[in-house]
Amino acid sequence: MELVTPHHFLALGALLFGIGFFGVVVRRNLLLVLMSLELMLNGVNVALVSFSRAGLNLDGSLFVFFIMTVAAAEVALGLALLVALYKRRQSVFSEDMSLLRN
Amino acid sequence: MNSFLTFSNDNIWYEIWPELALVLGAVIVLSMDLFSKRERGFPSMAGPFAIFFQGLLFSFHLFDYLAWHPTFDRTTFSGMLSQGFKGDVMRSFFLLSSFLVSILGHRYLKANLLRVGEFHHLTMLATGGLMLLCQSDHFLMLFVSLETVALCFYSLVAYDRESPKSLEAGIKYLVFGALSSSLLLFGIVLLYGVGANPEVWGARFTGHESMDPLSFSYLHTFLAENPDHLLLRAGVVLVLSGMAFKIGAAPFQIWVPDVYHGSPMPVTAFLAVSSKAAGFFVLLNLVQGPFGGISDFLLPLLGFIATFTIFFGNLAACAQRNVKRMLGLSGVAHAGYLLVAIMASMLFPGDSDRAVWVLFFYLFVYMTASFSVFGIMGLARTSEESEHDFSNYCNLAEKRPWMAFVLVCGISSLAGIPPFAGFISKVLLISVAYEAELYFSLAAMIIGVVISIFYYFGWIREICFKPDKLHDDDSLPVDPWETVTTSGFVKIVLISLTMASIVFGLWQAPFGNSF
Repeated sequence: MELVTPHHFLALGALLFGIGFFGVVVRRNLLLVLMSLELMLNGVNVALVSFSRAGLNLDGSLFVFFIMTVAAAEVALGLALLVALYKRRQSVFSEDMSLLRN
Repeated sequence: MNSFLTFSNDNIWYEIWPELALVLGAVIVLSMDLFSKRERGFPSMAGPFAIFFQGLLFSFHLFDYLAWHPTFDRTTFSGMLSQGFKGDVMRSFFLLSSFLVSILGHRYLKANLLRVGEFHHLTMLATGGLMLLCQSDHFLMLFVSLETVALCFYSLVAYDRESPKSLEAGIKYLVFGALSSSLLLFGIVLLYGVGANPEVWGARFTGHESMDPLSFSYLHTFLAENPDHLLLRAGVVLVLSGMAFKIGAAPFQIWVPDVYHGSPMPVTAFLAVSSKAAGFFVLLNLVQGPFGGISDFLLPLLGFIATFTIFFGNLAACAQRNVKRMLGLSGVAHAGYLLVAIMASMLFPGDSDRAVWVLFFYLFVYMTASFSVFGIMGLARTSEESEHDFSNYCNLAEKRPWMAFVLVCGISSLAGIPPFAGFISKVLLISVAYEAELYFSLAAMIIGVVISIFYYFGWIREICFKPDKLHDDDSLPVDPWETVTTSGFVKIVLISLTMASIVFGLWQAPFGNSF
């Protein structure tokens, strides 16, 4: 009997995704928001790899490489923006991002 | 070497020549700025080259598929991309829009002393990504091209690095954009997981396991066989919410006013036109391709989103004093109208369907009107960049008659006033919605158009009439139009955009027999 089925991996992936989503919504520090975004993508990766393994189909494993590359590019850009913003505003907290309003 | 030869023979690289040419041009633009002698005050040639190159590419591509090589439907790159007449029209749309962005951007960059090369480079790369996005026939391709576009847009929004507003808009766009692309990814994973192991998740399938579970054609048959599967439905909803973010539909419109407000003017125009159009083109491909089998489930969902979007966009736009935020929210309302066209295209599938061509016509008209409005706004020299108040436009008709003319025509076309193309496109949209028997969304659309006239006319009133008498102790506001020099080329482009929105209001022959 197979002990670990794709169902468990989907649950794990969804849990990681949910924790990341919660972090993006709740966290005030933009660095932690970026980390939570990474966590969401990692949840996706776990599910993809396990589905790919279970279905004996390599597309999912290939997809993971693209997701990792994109995530790295996104975070590099996000950190660059944060550094530039920190130089102007001396803060990385989302409650200080309040210049844009009606 | 041998494997490389078979690789290049199997994939017909000729089919994506516009994208390849665009990327080549983008690299040339970047290296021109890199190797130019900047210290001698030598004017950069990167901007004129980018404009000339994109104009040439646009007209060449237009002639290519209309006259020289009539297009047919085909799949290339092992099912990653699919080309056809519809895809070629979309590619031309993006090329034209990026050409216009480069023209507006060139002047804006010079006036605000920003770097030239990178702007055109990023614009061209984003356009290449958009062109691939609307041809993608596989979820891997869709994701990669979507992210190419998104990464270019994040840096374009934050292009003015000296301005905290631009940076703030950039970081907001990045966080919301990354959030939405993770939602899209999770949706793709659910579709893939069930598609690759149907028996594990209790889904029916009738022996096409040799096919690629991420390709649109496989998912079309698979979803049509299992329209009631819970995980598949969740996946479809998540993919659609990722796209709803792109177009700014209602539960995901939260980023729109802030990002439009903070980003440089040509980038706002680029976001408003190209990014939104890409969202609709992809949605169209999705609902006619992979999600075609579950339209019974999707129609009420999209109907709810469309109605909510129309009301939210219009009502929120009424409350805005900042013109850029107002335009952003009115763009949300336009997204709601276009969602009705998407719903109509689900009811009558097929490329020759009227709803598809009405969608294209609407987006084209929206492009001409938006670029004339944003073009004039970009000319103003307000005290603080990105702060455009209604009062900045006081009495423009007397100060700069031609600018006021272009602006009023653009606004009227957006609002849908009779002689302009915006009116015809809205009438066509309403007639398509009526044919498809979407009466509820139709009613929402008409109410939305009526509300929108209120805020558009508030702006026109400011342009056409003198301000109220100032009190003696009020200081005179700085006139943003005083120092504007009229540049010939931008003037010609803006006037011809206005002419286009008048001409297509009276004569729709080029869009021909689809009406």
